[in-house]
Amino acid sequence: MSFPLTRRHFLTQSVAAVAAAAAMPTFANGADNKPQWGDLHGRIVYDGPPPERKKLKVDKDVEFCGKFDIRDESLMVGPQHGLANVFIYLRSRRAPICPELEKSLPKDVLLDNRDAIFQPHCLHLWIARQQLLIVNSDPIAQNVAIAPLGDVPANIVLNPKRGENVETRWKFERRQTAPVKISCNYHPWETGYVLPLDHPYCDISKFDGSFSIPKMPVGTWQFQAWHERVEFLDTPAWPKGRFTYEIKPGVNDLGMIKLPPASFRNGP
Amino acid sequence: MPEVVARNRSTLMRPRSISVDLRPSAVSEPLSLCPPCLRGTLLALVASLLAITGCSLSTAPPFELNREGRDPAGIPAEQVTAVQQSLQKLFGTPDSPALPAGVTLDWNLLKAAAGPIRGEADGRQWGLYRRHCAGCHGISGDGAGPAAVVLAPYPRDYRNGVFKYTSTAPGAKPVRTDLVRTIQHGIPGTAMPSFRRLPTEEQAAVVEYVQYLSLRGETELQLLQAIVDEEADLQDVDEIARESVLRAAKAWQNAQTSLPVDGATTAESDAALKKSVERGQRLFVSPAVPCARCHGLAGNGRGEQSELYDDWNKRKLGATPEQTRQLAGRFKLPIEQLHPRDFTKGLFHGGDRPEEQYLRIYNGIKGTPMPAFGQSPGNPGVLTPQQIRDLVQYVRSLGPVGRL
Repeated sequence: MSFPLTRRHFLTQSVAAVAAAAAMPTFANGADNKPQWGDLHGRIVYDGPPPERKKLKVDKDVEFCGKFDIRDESLMVGPQHGLANVFIYLRSRRAPICPELEKSLPKDVLLDNRDAIFQPHCLHLWIARQQLLIVNSDPIAQNVAIAPLGDVPANIVLNPKRGENVETRWKFERRQTAPVKISCNYHPWETGYVLPLDHPYCDISKFDGSFSIPKMPVGTWQFQAWHERVEFLDTPAWPKGRFTYEIKPGVNDLGMIKLPPASFRNGP
Repeated sequence: MPEVVARNRSTLMRPRSISVDLRPSAVSEPLSLCPPCLRGTLLALVASLLAITGCSLSTAPPFELNREGRDPAGIPAEQVTAVQQSLQKLFGTPDSPALPAGVTLDWNLLKAAAGPIRGEADGRQWGLYRRHCAGCHGISGDGAGPAAVVLAPYPRDYRNGVFKYTSTAPGAKPVRTDLVRTIQHGIPGTAMPSFRRLPTEEQAAVVEYVQYLSLRGETELQLLQAIVDEEADLQDVDEIARESVLRAAKAWQNAQTSLPVDGATTAESDAALKKSVERGQRLFVSPAVPCARCHGLAGNGRGEQSELYDDWNKRKLGATPEQTRQLAGRFKLPIEQLHPRDFTKGLFHGGDRPEEQYLRIYNGIKGTPMPAFGQSPGNPGVLTPQQIRDLVQYVRSLGPVGRL
């Protein structure tokens, strides 16, 4: 759907243009006269004893699913206190996108039904270039249900692995402002989150808490942090989970971001 | 307040398991499935609710802002005002509706359904939505009218643009005839009655108004996402609203009946029908096809799946029980589990014709855990059309008529 150029579109496009223009002198000053981009790194740490991940009730397809030690994935802290599954993504609109990313990003983002859970638990994709490749690697039928706001909802059945029709591709049409829940109506313990965005600038923290967003345009941008326990990850330093940061050419390290357990006590 | 409702609900809800068939064919014997001891209570309750709604719905307050699921204190007043004013510019008020540019609804039908209830000497009726629908579906179409809390399932909340029983592809909007069908036939086994006795143009007017409320509700949700969640510039609120309307309207305009339903109604010989039922039974109980998981091996709706929720109630679920309690308290209606259909009763919410049941299996039931088993974009199609026909025949054989 196309809309006429309005004040808002003009402004957002101008922001992008200005940002690109601001970046250009830096680009031009590069030794080989090539554009330069910056990578954003950081590490999110749960500043307390890692919480116990409770064993979930697994009472469907028990013959297969009962073989696995399936535990709560809503607050996962690694051995080094790294907090996993925090979405960190660019909040500002219409930032220039590094052409290398357009070429290098895989077209498919894999959501695998494997060992009776969704793997990975959290994903993000760039809607203009990427789609969800949903696969069933389990020997039982699986279901994937997603209901994004203002977009077509999915409620897909996949055959057990040995049969046909064990995979499909799903394309999102609309960006979301926060991750959308993925659920399996057959196995209620299976949950995941997907964030469809209109850019590739997002990462999800790993078990060591680290995240890395490569090839960002230089300039000052606003970012959003989100975690499924609390949604927008509100901290004194990041009100509503938002923070502003200037990306410089090369490596930009946010350092260690410590979050107290109290931040996760209450819901969103 | 929500906690009080939730407590009351636990005692009020018991009669909810009673199937009340209000189809036109059952009008002569309404509530016939109720035990006599409960019938009087239920009728008195409905009568008192209608009395309340009849009084309160003659003049409507403005459309209430959809704050459901949000922290009640979390929306700044200026954002509330901006969103409400923008919606009012586009859609007007319950008493004086407006149609946004780009929305192709029939203005005359809409006017007949909107506004306070009144009739004219020549028999023309106005305020049809408030007369027939708002008592359950609410002034804003939030499915939380005064009677809603005692109904099971809850009345449809139109505001996310999802309707369960359609002839369209999975995820698509309904076509107008789908909504007309629901108005004419009602939803057997629920409190949604048939309105077949209304004049055709009055049925059409109500359908038009439901689409209007749905478009308004979808626009509102997208506007709240942009203004509250993203904190978009308040100067842009009208533009964002217009874009949201057009996006939602386009989805409605693109909807089309998806299936020819070939062969679903083909008359078969007794021998062929018997074989089809047998094949359907084998499929139904097969571990590879997950029918019995929810509907039970006996097709009585008592599968191993005990915690099912539709999309309207999934939003009330948090990551922990405490979060669920907190989150569910931000909705008007308490959290409600979904019960898979019991085929032995022979009551099908989406219609009892074979082609309608074929559609339910092929395309799934929108907004519910019932997925699409047929092939369509994004859905690989784990059952062939013939397998779906066999399942339809088997499911039909389980009901009172099939058992004869």
